Amino acid sequence: MSNSLSENRYPYIKVKLSVNGRDYEVSVRPYERLIDVLRYKLGLTSVKEGCGRGECGACVVIMDGKLVPSCLVLAVRANNKKILTLEGLAPEGKLHAIQKAFLDVMSVQCGYCLPGVIIATKWLLDKNPSPADQEIKEVLSGQLCRCGSYLRFVKAVKLAVKYLKEGKVYFDIQELKGSPLRGG
Amino acid sequence: MVLIRDDVVRPKAVLDLWPLRKELAFIKREVDWVKIGALTTIEEICSSFLVRDYRYAGFPDMCGLFATPYIRSLATIGGNIGAAHPLSDATILLLTLDSEVKLVSIRGERWVKLDKLFLGKRRLAKDSSELITEVRFKEVPEKSSTALLKFDRRWGHSMGYVVAAAYAQIKDNVVREIRIAFDSMGRPFPERAKKTEEFLRGRRLSEDVIEGACTEVLPKEMKRISDYRASAEYRLELSKVLLRRALLRIKSRIRGG
Repeated sequence: MSNSLSENRYPYIKVKLSVNGRDYEVSVRPYERLIDVLRYKLGLTSVKEGCGRGECGACVVIMDGKLVPSCLVLAVRANNKKILTLEGLAPEGKLHAIQKAFLDVMSVQCGYCLPGVIIATKWLLDKNPSPADQEIKEVLSGQLCRCGSYLRFVKAVKLAVKYLKEGKVYFDIQELKGSPLRGG
Repeated sequence: MVLIRDDVVRPKAVLDLWPLRKELAFIKREVDWVKIGALTTIEEICSSFLVRDYRYAGFPDMCGLFATPYIRSLATIGGNIGAAHPLSDATILLLTLDSEVKLVSIRGERWVKLDKLFLGKRRLAKDSSELITEVRFKEVPEKSSTALLKFDRRWGHSMGYVVAAAYAQIKDNVVREIRIAFDSMGRPFPERAKKTEEFLRGRRLSEDVIEGACTEVLPKEMKRISDYRASAEYRLELSKVLLRRALLRIKSRIRGG
């Protein structure tokens, strides 16, 4: 089959990325998307591909402070940008207050949409540390959750706001008693 | 990107215009004009002076309804126009401001009225060597304002069954100037409702006149389609309702100054 995109006549381009605080240099084809680089070249599988056309919000990452769907960003456009994915939210062995809050209210069922929802929440709270309900709903309106956990998302965001206001940014995973992570 | 993914288009090459943002991302007032660079994102428009001026209150209307935050950070005004798609919120609003689009090619540049730009869905009155670089409109006078309304079953990421926008200058309750645009008047691209405009121009904006414009004049010049999302009857009914709401919203915005 002569699919022009599969031919190797397109040169590799070197792209420098700073992802979750680490610097990378990767070689990408001009048509490769940021999501492909994050998932398959850097192994950051929290970035989920849902629709692949900017409608579901499962693949959102924060790029230079902007919330972007990584399926609609060409990798070359991310050159010299700072990117945050779910993996970079908390140091090894810790959970970020937003993650803890989403666990506490048992906000997920299948969990596929959650990395996107948490990243969108992080972006919202960076902009506005105490958002009104309406603002939470507006920002999360682009994050599709087919299990329909939307109301718990709002609850979780409000709990995360509370944690952050109390100065609790990171939680030790070992100390999460009674959380779903520890099996009851 | 979406069209390539859906195999609607198969380009031989794709040119990334993003590096041109240094030149083509701006919103500025210059003499009598408001000028917006083609690569200005919707998010940037939503944090510009346009959303703080009652005359351009249609912009904050549009910002709240335009897709989602993560699309607003990527989507550009040039892209919204160039997509030549009926449900292009920003384009519909720009039609009511009688905007012009700047097309630049190796042969030079030219300005085209936005309402002369569309030929069909995804078809523009420009050749492929011409690039949309700017959209501009004349500053509107005092005692005038804009509004944009959209109807869908959900707020987030809504495409809209109907999108309506209007600009009006109202003095002593008389319509001095008016421009109305819908996502479609019959053809598959955004257009002005010129007969309804003509009917309203010069009249007192009373309950009867609004009623007449929405129920008598508009349905005569508008032809709606039925598809899997909504029926033609429903779309027409929504169009009448949204036009009425847009006019009342503009009226109260002008009064509120």
